[in-house]
Amino acid sequence: MKRGDILLIGLIVIIALAFLIPRWFFEDLSEKNHNDNPLVANIKVDGKLVRSVELTEEEQIIEIETEDGLNILKVHDYGIEMIEADCPDQLCLTFGFVQRNGGTIVCLPHKMIVEIEGASGEGDEIDAIVK
Amino acid sequence: MPSLNKPAAPRTLNGESSTLVLKRTVIVAIFAAVAVVLSVIESHIPINMGVPGAKLGLANIMVLTCLYFLRARDALMMVLLKTLLTAFILGTFSSFLFSIMGALFSFAAMWFLLLVGRKRLSMIGISIVGGIAHNIGQLTAASLYFLTTNIFYYLPMLLITGVLTGVAVGIAVRYLIPALSRLSLFESFLTD
Repeated sequence: MKRGDILLIGLIVIIALAFLIPRWFFEDLSEKNHNDNPLVANIKVDGKLVRSVELTEEEQIIEIETEDGLNILKVHDYGIEMIEADCPDQLCLTFGFVQRNGGTIVCLPHKMIVEIEGASGEGDEIDAIVK
Repeated sequence: MPSLNKPAAPRTLNGESSTLVLKRTVIVAIFAAVAVVLSVIESHIPINMGVPGAKLGLANIMVLTCLYFLRARDALMMVLLKTLLTAFILGTFSSFLFSIMGALFSFAAMWFLLLVGRKRLSMIGISIVGGIAHNIGQLTAASLYFLTTNIFYYLPMLLITGVLTGVAVGIAVRYLIPALSRLSLFESFLTD
């Protein structure tokens, strides 16, 4: 290993941490928003909005049948996760439990994306940044 | 061993340089086949690093070794072959578009670094950049396709896993290159 490698690794780790560390602080703040600011998961297939689900504490099972296959999502504890999919790469299952605003789950082979947004629209997001 | 990469004279075309062309073709074919097998094996390893899109990138061992021994255009051919075959075996056509984007990004980044930074970076540094470029290529493809930049949320985590897997791949390449250099097939492609 040369000196350049060490510098490169250091640089990449610093860039990554510069994004990750502020995120850990803000995640604590957004925990409090759950009760007064419900989030919504927008499920889009091939660019079209198929379903919009409110992220509740209670469990909900959502089955999405696309042209290419089946995806099963589960809503619980103000978040959402992909629990089953018959796509070839199974990558969508590795996204895990997503609950923050702007969170995404992508299933490429089924052209499907799940995006979490504030219920009352984009306005909330801008307010949150200004604070 | 002097380099034979430049065809010397037109009259030797039938002799030495045609064996060279043949050797190149054979190496590209073997490397692409090994890369596909590595990708298939990798898809069966149940490692979940907790980061979507993170993978070991074992096929990158073959791409980097190919770039080391052969010309850029041969390595590019190998990358295209490997991506096409892997998509046929593991994926669907839509996921092929994303893999090819990642593969080409990664190839371009490693080729550029081998040209420019060979003295400053070892194979480890180059494989790290190749792995990360693959991730960035795929995220860019996905964000263009879904018209959302939210996916880049995962990039910082992918940078960290990219460093770890890049080091592993780089170490593998450092063992592979001297081992292959001892084979007579690779004799005419040694650069040092």
